[in-house]
Amino acid sequence: MAEMKTLIKIKPKTYAVGEVVKIDFMAMHPMETGMRKNKDTGEVIPAHYIDEVKFMFNDQVITKMVIWESLSVNPLFSISFKVPAAGMLKIIAKDNKGQSVESTEQITPKG
Amino acid sequence: MERRSFLKGFGMVAACTTLIPQIAGAADEAKKVVSPNEMNYDTAVAAITGGKPLVASAKVAISAPEIAENGAVVPVKVTVESPMSSKDFVKAIHILASKNGNVRCANVYLTPANGEAYFGTRVKLGGTQDVVAIAEMSDGTFLTAKQNVKVTIGGCG
Repeated sequence: MAEMKTLIKIKPKTYAVGEVVKIDFMAMHPMETGMRKNKDTGEVIPAHYIDEVKFMFNDQVITKMVIWESLSVNPLFSISFKVPAAGMLKIIAKDNKGQSVESTEQITPKG
Repeated sequence: MERRSFLKGFGMVAACTTLIPQIAGAADEAKKVVSPNEMNYDTAVAAITGGKPLVASAKVAISAPEIAENGAVVPVKVTVESPMSSKDFVKAIHILASKNGNVRCANVYLTPANGEAYFGTRVKLGGTQDVVAIAEMSDGTFLTAKQNVKVTIGGCG
């Protein structure tokens, strides 16, 4: 599979230090359950899903997730985050075939 | 409508209604593939709580649609009332789909840095069932809330 595409959204777009924002993280992933069959050959499609997501701020883990195949295709992970200062948000997603992707977003509070 | 064609039509309908359940049943049997991470609801809850009691609580708010037309994408949002201070916070939010092959959807381990205990995602539901949220508090108690979701088209096939 090609490199996983990801998207990070922070709501609201402008925020101050101490404000609680929502971080939406989306990853483009098939999230195969291992229960589906190939319609032509009848073979079971092996399970392929994101099994771990880590949200980090300045290299400190803020939220860790263990994920199972029951999440939808191209899953969304949304959490809250209280902005302590300016810094770097890093999100690492890993799937059960060992592929991982790292995405970063600069946190720049205003005011 | 003529009497003859009416009777013919009626006969067809009767034949169809008796046949369809059998065909559908056979198709289900052939389709049955066991999930690689198969786990039922009771085992999953026991693995999370370690035998401690689950307390239904209004502090846990789970938001999911009552009727989901498409089981493949069901938005679920969980918020837990908590100050999220270093002494009193929500350690984890677990989301379970009570009747999926593998009931576990996501185990989210939070820290006080989150500011609010919130997790939002989208899940696949194989059929009509309860979506359950379990909140593990820092004092070692487990709070829970659930929402029944009616699914018209399953998302696990």
